[in-house]
Amino acid sequence: MSLLVVDNLVKTYPGGRKSPPVEAVRGISFAVEKGELFGLLGPNGAGKSTTIGCINTLVRPTAGRILVDGVDITRAPPEAKRRIAVVPQTRNLDSDLTVREILTYHGRYFGLPAAEREARADRLLEELKVADKARAKPKTLSGGQQQRVMIARALMHDPQLVLLDEPTTGLDPQARRLLWDILRGLHQRGLTLILTTHYMEEADRLCQRLAIVDHGRILTLDTPAALKKTLPGAQVLDLWVRAPRPLAPQLRAIPGVQNLEHVEVEGDGDEHERLRLFVDPKDGLLDRVLHAVREGGADLHHVNLAQPSLEDVYIHLTGKELRE
Amino acid sequence: MTVFLALLQRDVLVARRNAGPLLVATLTQPILVVLVFGNLLPRMQLVADEFRTVMLPGLMAITMMMAGVQGVLMPLVQDLSGGREVDERILTPIGVRGVALERIVAGALHAAVAGLIALPAMMLLMHQVSGMEVHPAWPALLPLAALCGLLSAAFGLTLGTHVQPRFSGLLFAVVLGPMMLFGCAYYPWAALAALGPVRYLFLLNPLTFMSEAMRLAVTPNVPHMPLGLLLGGLLGFLALFTILGARSFERRTIL
Ligand SMILES: Nc1ncnc2c1ncn2[C@@H]1O[C@H](COP(=O)(O)OP(=O)(O)OP(=O)(O)O)[C@@H](O)[C@H]1O
Ligand SMILES: [Mg+2]
Repeated sequence: MSLLVVDNLVKTYPGGRKSPPVEAVRGISFAVEKGELFGLLGPNGAGKSTTIGCINTLVRPTAGRILVDGVDITRAPPEAKRRIAVVPQTRNLDSDLTVREILTYHGRYFGLPAAEREARADRLLEELKVADKARAKPKTLSGGQQQRVMIARALMHDPQLVLLDEPTTGLDPQARRLLWDILRGLHQRGLTLILTTHYMEEADRLCQRLAIVDHGRILTLDTPAALKKTLPGAQVLDLWVRAPRPLAPQLRAIPGVQNLEHVEVEGDGDEHERLRLFVDPKDGLLDRVLHAVREGGADLHHVNLAQPSLEDVYIHLTGKELRE
Repeated sequence: MTVFLALLQRDVLVARRNAGPLLVATLTQPILVVLVFGNLLPRMQLVADEFRTVMLPGLMAITMMMAGVQGVLMPLVQDLSGGREVDERILTPIGVRGVALERIVAGALHAAVAGLIALPAMMLLMHQVSGMEVHPAWPALLPLAALCGLLSAAFGLTLGTHVQPRFSGLLFAVVLGPMMLFGCAYYPWAALAALGPVRYLFLLNPLTFMSEAMRLAVTPNVPHMPLGLLLGGLLGFLALFTILGARSFERRTIL
């Protein structure tokens, strides 16, 4: 049986006097197995936090079912709450306590006996590399340190399922890498992790399976490798061009070009167009493409040929770039 | 239950750490009022001696009301604005209603402590002038103080969750100020008989029952409200504000 089942989840935030209702989640379904590292990848406002919120009971679903270990979480039964831990998107460490107290009090809230919570707090402070901050107030910690304290706090009550909402947003590359190592470590120990992110690279490296979410719907769900395989062609050739007339028909006709997409380039202000060609590499392909561009009277600004990445999958599905 | 106690323990720890500023915030006003109306004015013979006897329990009630409301309101503002520190507590097995009840009990503790510190402090200040009839009846005082504390805290939860956090300062001017003037703090319920049926309007103010409760407990010789009406009022308002407060706390925290 899956540890988590989300079945046709819908959440519409009721509107106010001046604001219309927001359909944040419009029918999301997925299941996460025990021990899996599952990702929700999507741009700002896709509905990731709302989905996480519904799973942890801080958001009341409009419709749909969520089962944790077979128990309906929307009734918030205490046993189900003990199995879940949350690392929220906004840092919410108890500002009146010290870092170590935050952990020991969290242990108290979940009924851990004194000896156990003290020992576990020390072990987790060590493990998450915040032991030197044990007596500090959370407000004096850096973003990365606060993030690690939040993870330590989440682990205090020995949950089975940890929900991490954008755990690496706003961290510098080094802090992000440290966090990745920590998350991999937790996963290897058998914890089930669900994380949201809008970093392609993060989703690709970390997640065993991931769902790409946009506008409150799951666009696709699979392993990163399988997602990349769904793209037509073995490589992706990106052209940034300025063309007086459409180039697409000529480019499409070139043998080896499997597919062509226009990509929306957000807000740069220059008139370059981004054309994305899914190609199977062949002798002379690049030559023929460049020739077609020149024939079309276009000004070629930039070229990029690469293995398909998750980002390409994303662009293929949405027609948009995902800006980091 | 263990979750409840753990949450309470955390609040007591934090309150103890902030005890200084917290007590100054709640006790300054009533102590100064006692100084002026209970000490200076009687010495200048500008108010009758009995006034002090009437005022003392009323001021205790006001102190507890302010302490209870503040004891809930201050952490609530922190909880409901941006930071969402409260989420950690809601995610404990006790759930959102449990957290609301715990907040009420923590606020009540704060109120009861403030009230019980205020009493001797006020008596000391008024002592210099004779003619006081203060005989605290401790067995009645303690449970009534606890009840008044709970009521104030539940009222604070109701206020705090119905008002945007940034407007909470306004509450003191718009709600609590008038309540204090029309809550039988500076005059006994018995004396309101002079107003005819208008006096029953005062029963809409929870502070009326708190003032009379303190009057019963601290100055038993002064005429006060019958015990039945008193308890009915206190318990009725407590139930009302607990339900209203817990409900809107839930509405504000679970989206
Ligand atoms: N409390 C709320 N009331 C009304 N609308 C909301 C509320 N919270 C979120 N929304 C709306 O719901 C949609 C989804 O928001 P959500 O926070 O779930 O997105 P997200 O994928 O987590 O985005 P981000 O990457 O920015 O965190 C957005 O359009 C947002 O404006
Ligand atoms: Mg989010």
